Parts: sequence; C-alpha cells; structure tokens
Amino acid sequence: MLKYSLNRLFWIVLVLIAVAFITFSLMHLVPGGPWDREKELAPQVIENLNKKYGLDKPYVVQFGSYMWNVLQGDLGVSYSYQDRGVTEILLDGLPKTATLGGVAFLIAILVGVPLGMAAALKQNSIIDYIAVFFSTLFASIPGFVLGIFLVLILSVSLHLLPTGGWGTIDHVIMPAFALAALPAAYIARVTRASMLDVLRQDYIRTARAKGLAEYVVLVRHTLRNALIPVMTVIGPELAFLITGSVVIESVFSIPGTGRLFVQGVAQRDYGLIMGTTLFYAFIIAVANYVVDILYGVVDPRIRYD
Amino acid sequence: MLKRFLFVFFALFVILSLALSSIGCSQEATGGQGVLRVNLAGEPDTIDPNKASWADQITVANLCFEGLLGFTKDLEVKAVVAKEIPTTGNGGISDDGKTYTFKLRSDVTWSDGEKVTAGDFEYAIKRMLDPDTAAEYASFYYDIVGAEDYNGGTGTVDDLAVEAVDDATLKIELVKVRPTFLQLMAMWPVYPNREDIITQYGEQWTEPPHYIGNGPFVLTAWEHQSKLTFEVNENYWGKRPKLERIELLMITDQNAELAAYKNNELDMSRVPTGSEKTIMEDATLNPQTIRYFDLTTFAFQFNVSKAPFDNKLLRQAITTGIDRQAFIDNVRRGIGKAATSWIPPGMPGYDADLGSEYQFDATKAKELLTEAGYPNGAGLPTIKFSYNNSAGNQVIAEFLQGQMKTNLNITIELDGMESSAFQAKVNAEQHQWAWFGWGADYPDPDNWLPEIFGTDAGNNHTTYSNQDFDNLCDEAALELNNTKRLEKLAEAQEMIIDDVPIAPMFFRERFWLVKPSVKGLVTTGLDHQCPGDLFWNLVYIEE
Repeated sequence: MLKYSLNRLFWIVLVLIAVAFITFSLMHLVPGGPWDREKELAPQVIENLNKKYGLDKPYVVQFGSYMWNVLQGDLGVSYSYQDRGVTEILLDGLPKTATLGGVAFLIAILVGVPLGMAAALKQNSIIDYIAVFFSTLFASIPGFVLGIFLVLILSVSLHLLPTGGWGTIDHVIMPAFALAALPAAYIARVTRASMLDVLRQDYIRTARAKGLAEYVVLVRHTLRNALIPVMTVIGPELAFLITGSVVIESVFSIPGTGRLFVQGVAQRDYGLIMGTTLFYAFIIAVANYVVDILYGVVDPRIRYD
Repeated sequence: MLKRFLFVFFALFVILSLALSSIGCSQEATGGQGVLRVNLAGEPDTIDPNKASWADQITVANLCFEGLLGFTKDLEVKAVVAKEIPTTGNGGISDDGKTYTFKLRSDVTWSDGEKVTAGDFEYAIKRMLDPDTAAEYASFYYDIVGAEDYNGGTGTVDDLAVEAVDDATLKIELVKVRPTFLQLMAMWPVYPNREDIITQYGEQWTEPPHYIGNGPFVLTAWEHQSKLTFEVNENYWGKRPKLERIELLMITDQNAELAAYKNNELDMSRVPTGSEKTIMEDATLNPQTIRYFDLTTFAFQFNVSKAPFDNKLLRQAITTGIDRQAFIDNVRRGIGKAATSWIPPGMPGYDADLGSEYQFDATKAKELLTEAGYPNGAGLPTIKFSYNNSAGNQVIAEFLQGQMKTNLNITIELDGMESSAFQAKVNAEQHQWAWFGWGADYPDPDNWLPEIFGTDAGNNHTTYSNQDFDNLCDEAALELNNTKRLEKLAEAQEMIIDDVPIAPMFFRERFWLVKPSVKGLVTTGLDHQCPGDLFWNLVYIEE
C-alpha cells in the first residue's frame, strides 16, 4: 500500500512537469503576446516590459528559472496584474472557489445519491420516472442558463437574493445550485444504474434469504457496493467543482480562480496561465490519487500490495 | 425502512434550502444615502497612476489623485495643483517655448495630511520614465530633455530635465516646442507620488491603507476581483465631495451587470450589446438612459501598400459603397453616429461636412469601381477582412460582407480571430483589410493624425505614407499659435479623407442606464470606464 502510494506520488510530479512544459511551449507558440494592444506600445516601452519580466531571455532559460521558482512555492509574476504575484492571486481566489465548489459538491451528493437510490429501489415507478426526468433535464441544461434563470426569478423579479458578488451566504445559494445541477444529475444516474446492478446480485438474494433486516441489506450490502462506481465519478467531479467554473463565476461575479484562467489566456498573461494550469493539474491529480486510495478502503476486494 | 431513509435525506435537503433561503430574506438593498455603486467591469491590472494605461485603471487613479493640471467639463486645460496655467505671459513658459515652470498652490495635502510639494511631482515623473517601472505611457513624454535616453536605458536620471527648484516650483525643459504639452501634463501618468510610501511598501503600495493620494477620495478597501471601496478624503484640500462613499464592483458579464442594476445593487449600468432596443422600448428604463459621444471613432483600415488596396480609386469606391446609416440602425441598433470623417464630435477639428462625397451611393460607388479597373468587381483578387471575433465584431464583419456583395459585387472572405492574435497580425501589418478603433488620450487632433497616419508612426498600420501630410503635421507640431496649428491639422485631416487609408464608419456613443436618484452627474468625452468619472466629486444621491 505504502509502496503504491509513493509510486503514484512520483508519477504525479512527473505529470506536473510535463504539463508545465507543454503549457509553456504552447503559450509561446500562440500568435500574439502580452503587449499586443489595440493602441500599439512604443518599441522602447515594449523592450522595457520584456526586460522587466525576463521575456528577453531564451525560452529554455525562462522555463528553467520558472520551474526553479515553482519548486520554492513561487508561481511567478502576473503580466497583467503588475503589482501582485500569481501565488497571491490564486490564494486570494481559492477559498471562495473552494467554498462554492464544496457547497455545490455537498448539494450534488445530497441530492444525487438519494435520488438515484430511490429511483433504483422503486424501478419503473412514478418515483423512478420523476428522478430520471429531472436527472435528464439538469444534465442537459447548461449551468449558466440555469444561473441566469435563477437570477431572473429570485433577484430581478422577487428581489430575494443579490444577483452576484461575494461575502455572505446569500451570495452562495444560486451559484452553488447552478453549479451542482449537472453533477447531481450525473451522480443520480450513476447511482441508479449501479444500485440496480447490485440489487440483482446473488449475495443480496442470500442476505434477504437469511432473514436480514431490509435496512441492513440496503445499507451494508447494497449501498456500500453500489457506491464504488459512484466514487469513481465523484473524485473528478470534486476536482472540477473546486477548481471553479469560469462561466458560473462570470455570471455571478464571484472573485474566484475560475475566471483567472480564461482571462490569463485572453491577455496572454503567461504567469497567470502557467500558475492556473499547474494548479488545476495538481488538484485533478490529487483528487484521482485520493479516489484510488479510497477504493481499497471501500472495497475489500481491491488490494494494492 | 426505505421510507425512513428517504425521509432523512429529504429532511436534510429541506433544512438546507430553508436555512439558506431564510438568510436570503434578510437581504436588503443597500442603496443608502450618498453611496454611488458602479461597475468597473473587472479587476484593474494596476491602480498605480504612473503605470496606468487602461480605462478602469485611470478611473481609480482619477478618484484618488490630482495633477498639476486637469480638464474642465469642456475639456479645456485647467490649473489644479498648479496655481495657474503656465503661459508666456505669466512667465510659466519661456520665450522659446521649451521651458515650463509650474508654480504650486501651498494648501494641497496628501490624504495622510502631508503637504504636496514640487518634489513629489519630480519623483513621480522620474519614476514614470524609469525603464524599470516600464510605464506604458512613458513614450508620450519623450519630448522632455533626457527622457527618451533615460527610458531607453542609454541615459541617466541625472540628465532628465525635471527639477523641483523649491517646494513650490517645478521646472521642466523640452527638447523642442510641444504645443500640446500642457494637455500631457493634465494626464494621469504625471500625477504626483510619494517616494517614502513607495520605497517602504514596494509594489504593495497600491493596497489600502498605503494608497496615499491627493484627490477627493481615498481607497479604504480592495477586495480583489470583487470590489473597491472609496471614502471621502478627510484631508482633501479642495471642495469636499458630496458623496459619502463610492463602491466599484467587478462584474465582468454585461447581462449580470444589468440584472444587478435592476435589482438595485448598482446605480449605473451599461446596456448589453443587443438589448438596446428592448431598453429603449421599456417604459421604466427608457427615461433612465443617457447617451453621449466619447471621442472614439471606428473605421475599416486598408493596408495601402498591398494590392489591391494600393489603388486609391478602389478604396474610394468601397468607402462610397457602404450604407453607414443602415449600419447604425441595424448593427449598432441606433447608437452612435455615421462617420465620413475621422476626428470625432466633441474634439477641436471635428468637421461635420468633411467626407460628404462618401455618403452612401451605390451607383457612384460602382462608377468608381469601374474607374479603378474592376468593373462590377471583375478581376479583383480575394479580399480578406481581419477582425477580433468577439460577438459584436462578428456582426460588423458580416454586415460588411453583405454590403460589399450587394452594392459592389465584391466577395470578401472573413478572417475573424482571437483578440491578441488579431492585434499581433495588425501590428505586424500582415492584414489586408481590418477593423480599427481609436479613442482619444487627450482631446487634440495631434493625438489623432501624425500618430496614426504619419510615415512609420507607431500606430500606423495602414502603412500610409504621404510627404505632404508629414510636412503639415511637422509644421503644426512646432506652431505655437493655436488657431494656425489647428488649421494645419484640419488640412491634414482633409488629406487623409481624400486618400482614404481608412473607410470611416461611426463615432461611438456611450449608452448607459443611470438611476434617477443619481444627481449632479457631469459626463465628458474623456470619461474613462464609467460615465462622469472625471467629476464624481460633484455627484450626490437623492432618494
């Protein structure tokens, strides 16, 4: 187990270096740089800016010194936010994005898992049809459409909630639901399918035959086994929710990290692009890692030795 | 058993939503007395006045800083921290027109109570020209003796002719006469700065409470990517602003901004592209709209050194063959004014009649096209039109494509690309024909002609080159008699319109919603990010 864990950790580091190198190369290959403005800057001004940000050095040197700084926990400077470092910018947005993502994640599980279970246990009943209907509906509506819809009803018409921004619980409700809709629908469908599969297994019939209480059959024998495929889904979903949604953060003006990535690309802010990409890659790698380790805990059949 | 299971989950879900919504009900609109809430539309990259270059950055700098000079409502230069505008009469400008002496008022203070001295201006200008600062507007001040060399890394700061003679006198020497130098001294890059603060806090000095300025407001909180809060500067030396507080939000999405306005979270809002007609037809919102020209002109720029646009008659044919009124009505939804000339209304040099020969006339356009050697478009190579493919520009490009096909039987290929890639292409003059907009840095034709159409000028991407035009601009640049100077520049504009390196399209108008409770708003063509932001010290809220 320990050997497996360490081995996986080593691979995570390699993956991150590869991601950094590919991003760095692509970024410099794309036409247009951080100083290409509608009003062109004077050549001398551009030279001063390049010098200030080390862009006058060869690519290899730039990449080397960047990685050296990253190892020391410094994600470098932002080319657009001239007075702040990328680490600082990311750390500033992270708690907000993570809070929102966390709440959305909870909603997704609290809605998705029970809905899927109910549908499976009462297969082909009205409950099942309703569950399938809603999970199909929310799987098809893009989050931002749902978000705008919520804003129009709850803010513009009923004046119950602020349209956007950050600071109180009020600001979390609508974006969290808009963000949770898709994963909740997804989790519900996976749970339903997996439950149906497990319920047909022989060991469930055995459990019932030996007279176990229905509660024990459901929780200990069915649910625990049915949740393994669900967990595979949940890991990446959590990573996706915590890194933030560009669209939802824009619709609700949330000062998180999600908006930074797209903004960085549009403005050719090399520092911000590298920082956010590495950060995303890190979160996704770690989420997958944790899920793999947890398999062993949930499913006694899985062993890593 | 199953029922209980489901019940628990349902109960949890209901409790969660109730808990969240009950807090939701306590939400009150916070439109208190004297608070102005406006959307800055994004986090400013920097709010350091020496470094600022984008509209949102300048808006913030203008709230907290004041220069030696400033602009009046009519965009005339006025004295602010300076006692008076330097002239040759009052000894502020030397007889040769190259040495400027600014006398400072004695009662101007910083927001921490310290006195503003000529040394603060000397420091700021030197810092702005320091190559390590990498200020984007540095090149505007290259006429100062030693500036170009210092900023270029070949000279030293000691050779820069900016000197605080004493606490109340600042002397600046120029390499050559610059009739618009006073306008440059009214701009943000030369606002004063505090050496002690910047030395102590480094790049962190722009964070409150270190952001010490000499303007009517002071920055009290900056929630990054979310909100900037300003309060009245208690040590402000001038007339106390009427507002208690200004909150600048950072909503990036235009529709989200409008929703926030409708929910009374904002006092002003842009009208999202595409919703203009809906807003105008809305009985409640229509009276809340304001519109005014903002010194910005848009045009289609030809690359005149590449075939087929090296042919002047072809350029004239195309310019005559575009129905600008249809463009304003359909693409701009009635906002803006059709342009046949370059310098926009509100600026000296605007000439309403100039370019009337390019009023839309399909027959005349076809005749010109025949004269150009391409009867009914025959024989023309494929024409590529490049643009930044944001949603708004896509419509513009398609409109142009339609006009060319219908009116002149010319087929053009659309070459839309992402913003930075488009700018890189145009800046390298790789385009054939491209969308082009220009906004005033300062309200003078000097900022609109030599800079864009002069041979090899920094922003000349039409590759237009005309010796007569260059000579006229050079003469104007040395002409101290303002009437004569403007006459020369007017003549220069006529040359451009005759040669049409650009097909002018429209003068932009700002179109905003403003709550009826906002009083005393003074809008100008030089407003930066938001309406009236040069004069928010005059605004007040009346419920």
